[in-house]
Amino acid sequence: MSATMTTPGEFQAKDYKSDLKPIWCPGCGDYSVVQGIYRALAAVGRPPHEVAFISGIGCSSRIPGYTTAYGFNTVHGRALPIAQGIKLANPDLLVLAAGGDGDGFSIGGGHIAHLIRRNIDITYIVMDNQIYGLTKGQLSPTSQKGRTTCTSPYGSLENPVNPLLYVLAYGAGFVAQASPTDLAGMAATLEEAIRYPGFAFVNVQSPCVTYGEEAQQIKGLKAISESLSAIGHDPADRLAAMDLAQHYGEKLHLGVFYKNPEPPPTYDALIRERQAQLSQGALPKERILDLFIKK
Amino acid sequence: MRKDLVFGMAGSGGDGIVSAGDSLLQAASAEGYHGVMTKSFGSQIRGGESSCRVRISTDPVLNPGGNLDVAVALNWEDFLKFGAELPVAGTTVVIYEAATGVPENQIPLVGVTPLQVIAVPIAAMAKETAGTERAKNTVVLGLIAGWFGIGGEAVMKGISKKLAKKSQELVEANQKAFDAGVAFAKSHPLKADMTVVPSSSKGAVKLLTDGNDMCAAAALFAGCQFFGGYPITPSTEIMQFFTNHVWKYGGAVLQAEDEIAGIGAAVGASFAGKKSMTATSGPGLSLKSEMMGLASIAELPLVIVDVQRGGPSTGLPTKTEQSDLFAAAFSAHGDVIRPVLAPTSVADMFRTTVEAFNIAEYYQTPVIILSDQEIASRKETLDPIDTSTFKIINRLVPAGADLQDYKRFKQTENHISPISHPGMLGGTYLASGIEHVESGAPTNSGSVHQRMNDKRIKKLDPLKERKDLFEITGNPDAPLALVAWGSVAGVCREALQMAQAEGLDVKLMVPYLLYPVAEQTYRDFFASVQKGLVVEQSHLAQTFKVLRMHLDLPKGLQSLARSGANPFLPGEIVAALHHLLSELQRSHEGKLQPQE
Repeated sequence: MSATMTTPGEFQAKDYKSDLKPIWCPGCGDYSVVQGIYRALAAVGRPPHEVAFISGIGCSSRIPGYTTAYGFNTVHGRALPIAQGIKLANPDLLVLAAGGDGDGFSIGGGHIAHLIRRNIDITYIVMDNQIYGLTKGQLSPTSQKGRTTCTSPYGSLENPVNPLLYVLAYGAGFVAQASPTDLAGMAATLEEAIRYPGFAFVNVQSPCVTYGEEAQQIKGLKAISESLSAIGHDPADRLAAMDLAQHYGEKLHLGVFYKNPEPPPTYDALIRERQAQLSQGALPKERILDLFIKK
Repeated sequence: MRKDLVFGMAGSGGDGIVSAGDSLLQAASAEGYHGVMTKSFGSQIRGGESSCRVRISTDPVLNPGGNLDVAVALNWEDFLKFGAELPVAGTTVVIYEAATGVPENQIPLVGVTPLQVIAVPIAAMAKETAGTERAKNTVVLGLIAGWFGIGGEAVMKGISKKLAKKSQELVEANQKAFDAGVAFAKSHPLKADMTVVPSSSKGAVKLLTDGNDMCAAAALFAGCQFFGGYPITPSTEIMQFFTNHVWKYGGAVLQAEDEIAGIGAAVGASFAGKKSMTATSGPGLSLKSEMMGLASIAELPLVIVDVQRGGPSTGLPTKTEQSDLFAAAFSAHGDVIRPVLAPTSVADMFRTTVEAFNIAEYYQTPVIILSDQEIASRKETLDPIDTSTFKIINRLVPAGADLQDYKRFKQTENHISPISHPGMLGGTYLASGIEHVESGAPTNSGSVHQRMNDKRIKKLDPLKERKDLFEITGNPDAPLALVAWGSVAGVCREALQMAQAEGLDVKLMVPYLLYPVAEQTYRDFFASVQKGLVVEQSHLAQTFKVLRMHLDLPKGLQSLARSGANPFLPGEIVAALHHLLSELQRSHEGKLQPQE
């Protein structure tokens, strides 16, 4: 299979929406995220059957099922290794991975660094709500220090992970943040992430209406949000991006933190080159055992 | 003259004793002999003790052999570390380094008087002829050529080929060292003639390789296009061989950040429609178990090779054991059956691996190949394999009507549903680790769960009818029996021949399919059995227990089990069979007594 060329407007957002009814609570931020994904995919225009959408476990990880793409709702924390296997097996696919902050930065935290250094063309969307929702309200890796939850009844003693600094530090080529406070902006950011040739990371502040804190609901997020383009941030400036990313948790910067202006070749593209080079003069598979003949 | 010789050699890491074994085996192979070589090491990377065992025969070799015919000790400390792996008997010729200072009548082998003991100034000869002690292994090869008649020209041809790339001087130095070894042997003849009968098949094409390389080659032949894995002894060579070649066939390898990511990538590649595999050893198998469950419930084909080593935990990383059967059959939670296959030699690693891919693809299931350190690292000479006789099975892909309202997990008569993959128009679905209805949509329904478990478990039932996954030899009605798999099967094959030659009425079952347990095949086999042994390298006797879990075993069936790194010898199995026979005869005599 090779990527289908489509004409603009050939696909509408609704073409990516499945018939499954989400399990999410009314008002959950993830409803906006899936809407943003429908719009972004329609804008990019790849047919749903050429999209593979992989997730781990958690409320947000149910998301592939709500699209008409090929979905794979895998095991906790392992969306990224599986997504990489898919992309390497068939680089023509558009591969999305998604999950929550616990899935990505706690149980699966070890995988992100390696995907980044490989620079495989996968877009990874984290729905960050600072809480474990599916298991009913435990401390997550992005919960603020001092936060009381059912597993931190006297307040958390841990500092949170900063997802933005984390991926910037490992050298991700595209790093952005979005939020349901600006759906159009989220759709545009996701589209840009998908179009970026290489690993792209989008942290979405997606409020948990059931276990989230007041300050992290839509109203609270609006109060601290600021558009990166409006403040004149240059997305080609990685150090400026890291500087801004330090304010994760206090401010909600929306838009692109960093986008490598000269994207290096992706791992999947290099693999194709290697396959093409080495395939010349290969022994037919039926004769593979000739390699063991000793003369 | 001899038809079969077993050499065991040990030294410290830098002595090149394993490379001497390699040269010997290659030369023997070039001269038309059959051969097997196993290696054993301490777990040090450099230095430390290393050993090899080379068996050379005019007939096909069934296993690395029992007691040594020839023992070579470059120093006693290292030799003794291998204990039962290098057993010296009254029939053994012992050759050792004179510089150890040990008198010939005081060698440190307790309770055994070897046939002959010869101290040879190996290091001194190397230094004198080649100018360096590094040529010790070449002197040893010269001694072997002189005393046992193996590999005269062929050894030096092989060595020259290897060294010519470095320098001609090195080749000449080694030739001198080799000649000195031959000359020493000629001037110190053995008490008994132990030269090997010339092979009748000199010049025939032979293959020479080990189990790990064979496994990777077979996977390529079967059409595997993706390997995801993480380095772990003793399985790593599978990934290494694969990554040397798979790109040529449009495939890829991901050396992942950990064992879980390795199998995860392989699961992903399978979801994407490619034949896919991972390989590991015990600790890695433990880590991969959650992903194996995912592949089972998502019904994704996948081959997982577990090259067993001593466990639990890090255990004995460089030694063989058969203690992962429980883990292969039962690890990962939930009600699930995963087929488990086991090769018995390098030769049948090819067939077993191709079969594993066929089963994985046909039944849409993960399949585990239980190899072991011995098969993985031992080198065998093999007759060429006609690959055209092997059938390759690909997964059932939906077409035409299947793609109208496609249901990925559709209930079918044989419980196998056509499987689409990303890129296929009309085939989109949600794969998941969560229970699902036929379309793939998640469910919590108990009745659906019951039906889907039924589907996933019953689809594998036909495997249990596969008689070709069992090798049964000997008189079908024999009252005595042996059961063994993996590398231990080869020892039992030889024990069977020896026992039959001694007049015992015995048969042998070698299962290639370990799980699911083919109940009827075992029942048929056990029907005539009054006494027997399940022979395995597992302290817990895992095979015996798995069989007992599924079957009512004959009362006289016993377990002969012990921990890994303690090889079974054919002779001890024959002795055990004699013992069983005498028990049997006693119980028969007992029955003749009036029963009042």
